[in-house]
Amino acid sequence: MEIRPILSAMLRNKTGAILVGLQIALTLAVSANAVSIIMQRVEKIGRPTGMDTHNSFFVQSYGFGPKYDHKDTIQRDLDMIRSIPGVVSASAISAVPLSGSGSSATFGAEADPSKVTIEGNLYRTDEEALNMLGVKLAEGRFFRKEEIEYLKTQSSRFAPVIVITRDMAKALFGDEPALGRQVHDGLGQSATVIGIIDHMLGAWVDWDNLTQIVFVPEVQQGPVARYGVRTEPGMRDAIMAEVEQKLAGADIQRAITHVRSHDEFIERSYRADSRMVAFLSVIVGLIFAVTALGIVGLASFHVGVRRKQIGTRRAVGARKIDIIRYFMVENWLLTTAGVAMGALLAFAFGQWLSAMYSLPRLDPMYVVLGIVLLWVLGQLAVFIPARRAAAIPPAIATRTV
Amino acid sequence: MLTYNLRLAFKSLRRTPGIAALMIGAIGLGVGVCITTLTVWRLMSANPIIHRNDVLYSVTLDNWDPNNPMYARSPHLPPPQVTYRDAMAMYASDIPTRKVAMRKSSFVLDPGQAQGMKPYQVITRLTNTDFFPMFDVPFLFGAPWSTDADEGAQQVVVLSKETNTKVFGGQDSVGRTIQLDGQDYKVVGVLDEWAPTPKFYDVTNGAFEEPEDLYLPFSVGIRLEMPSTGNTNCWRNQTLNTWQEFLQSDCVWIQYWVELPNRERVEQYQNFIDNYVREQKRLGRFERPLNNHLRRPDEWMRVNEVVRDDNRVLVGLSFMFLAVCLLNMVGLLLTKFLGGAPIVGLRRALGASRGEIFKQHMVEVGVIGIGGGLLGIVIAALGLFAVRNLHDNYDALTRLDVPMGLIALAIAIASGVLAGVYPTWRVCRTQPATYLKTQ
Repeated sequence: MEIRPILSAMLRNKTGAILVGLQIALTLAVSANAVSIIMQRVEKIGRPTGMDTHNSFFVQSYGFGPKYDHKDTIQRDLDMIRSIPGVVSASAISAVPLSGSGSSATFGAEADPSKVTIEGNLYRTDEEALNMLGVKLAEGRFFRKEEIEYLKTQSSRFAPVIVITRDMAKALFGDEPALGRQVHDGLGQSATVIGIIDHMLGAWVDWDNLTQIVFVPEVQQGPVARYGVRTEPGMRDAIMAEVEQKLAGADIQRAITHVRSHDEFIERSYRADSRMVAFLSVIVGLIFAVTALGIVGLASFHVGVRRKQIGTRRAVGARKIDIIRYFMVENWLLTTAGVAMGALLAFAFGQWLSAMYSLPRLDPMYVVLGIVLLWVLGQLAVFIPARRAAAIPPAIATRTV
Repeated sequence: MLTYNLRLAFKSLRRTPGIAALMIGAIGLGVGVCITTLTVWRLMSANPIIHRNDVLYSVTLDNWDPNNPMYARSPHLPPPQVTYRDAMAMYASDIPTRKVAMRKSSFVLDPGQAQGMKPYQVITRLTNTDFFPMFDVPFLFGAPWSTDADEGAQQVVVLSKETNTKVFGGQDSVGRTIQLDGQDYKVVGVLDEWAPTPKFYDVTNGAFEEPEDLYLPFSVGIRLEMPSTGNTNCWRNQTLNTWQEFLQSDCVWIQYWVELPNRERVEQYQNFIDNYVREQKRLGRFERPLNNHLRRPDEWMRVNEVVRDDNRVLVGLSFMFLAVCLLNMVGLLLTKFLGGAPIVGLRRALGASRGEIFKQHMVEVGVIGIGGGLLGIVIAALGLFAVRNLHDNYDALTRLDVPMGLIALAIAIASGVLAGVYPTWRVCRTQPATYLKTQ
């Protein structure tokens, strides 16, 4: 197949060729960057939580009135929940992981308050939390029942023992073993690390220190009580309804403010990200569709106006495959020129995006992927009109119009 | 002449229905996607208090850690909220015509046995009475509480319309009482529908949160030692074992706004807060450089990045998508118009002027633009429907309105014309003779 005649034919309609090339270039620049953002968000949403989130839910109770007894309420509620068949574990916890709400504090490996700078998510909870969250203990042990302190007021006390995540241990002590070490707060108090959790995510999905977590054996003061409940697989929804009904029915002055599955909390936290994924996916899908249809449309039109020339070529000996090949090669040349320009555009655009907004750099892999996809798409799109062109009978050459 | 041109346009489009559909479809998609992202962006970047934008100011003071700024990524920004002791010190100033210290908290409302409803949690704004006139909050019944109520921490309450409907069936409840956390509060007012979006007066606790269920005097929350349910940030190593210790601490948890009627007052007030901070520096607080700000609502929302970067990226990408759709259309139009050049040649030979040919083709382009615009409005409506389903916070606010529909049409026609100018110009330039010869 000669490329020269195709090129010279294209050069006779320069504008048309430039337009298609530009369109392909822009398509590549937009889609590569969009897919790069999509993949980064998908990865963020799908990263391992370290917890058994599918089988757990959280309840919030809000006590009021003179007769309300916080500690007594928590113990009665937890006893009731634990007695329900299908409940694996229930625990009082100060906040729901990955809910976008929680508290953090700074800690240090040394007593010097100016070196207390390592930020960690703080969860106040009881001895059941490990099992309730479904997190894996890597070293040491979790809290014992007798270690749990029920706070009566707001307090700056630091518990004598704590359990931390491995990432928190690394932030504090580097590669040294952390078990048994002292962790200091800014008030000159310290606690002993008695256990290390393999991995877990904390409160805020956009926080840099999401994996640095500190558990303390305390149950927070009233009037708000939060319980986490883990159930046998498949029983979550039924037990959620039962717990809500039983808690509301208990003769205690309080309101049940919400009963919500852990998955729902997480879904809400990632909503901005999943919206971005949905939006960008639609744009990527549409841009490929528009470009492909554009190629089909242009090629069909060309076939239409070149009927006579094609007929003539057929009459002087060109085979059907030659006609098809002509259109395929023409498209391949256009696409190649387009993606070459598009690759440059994509990187420039990616550079600009990461400089202007807090977006990571464009992964070249997505540009390569885009190029391959556009090649294939272009060839597929042009094949339909090309086959129609090949079906033009040679006899058409003998007619005048 | 226009009808003749229109007839020609429709005839021409019908001659190549596939290409016509493709062009209208491409413009429609491009416009639809752009309008969808633009509507969301417009919602986020709106200023619901624009009519008072030049007199309202949020006040921020930099009492943060001398070694670590509040925001590591924007170290020049002071904390968005203030401490209790600073709020109270500022409240003593009479320079502002109105002033408000406020925060978010929650109570349990017991509607009593009569309604057959269970006690439920109500999100509450603890604020001064100036809140209502300052932010132009509409009342359905009654009025804001008196300044006496603020000073005396009286148990009075203003209900949102929704809460009044829930508890009192929508009747005028002024003078009745409700029970919050087991105590009686007298209803002094009921708001009309009010949901400023973004919630400019408290962007720290979610710029797209719903407004509160009810409003109580700020002083009541202090007397009852009600913990805040909004963001509370602390940095100083100090014990916080009692409510008093918390009130005296360097923790920030209060939003502070003032109304300053003119420039003079603004300067006066800026001096006042700067002097206050200098004085506090002598007492060993405020160890960071002087960094106090009075910001108007629009600046306040910008500084706090109410519009997410994601939304800007989406708007940008949508317009690039529109550009692809347009390139697509230019290519198709060019091919189509040049394909029709023999007819143009014939018309020219029969006496049509270049201007006539130009007009005829531009009318055709306009028809495509209008068709694409209408399709774009339908697509944008579908897109926004999907956005609402994806995000219940945006409900009702992401609807396509008349101005946005007009913008859609304008973008479509402008893009159509833009895409059509070059192909039209090309076809006008054709020499009739060339085409007549081949016939």
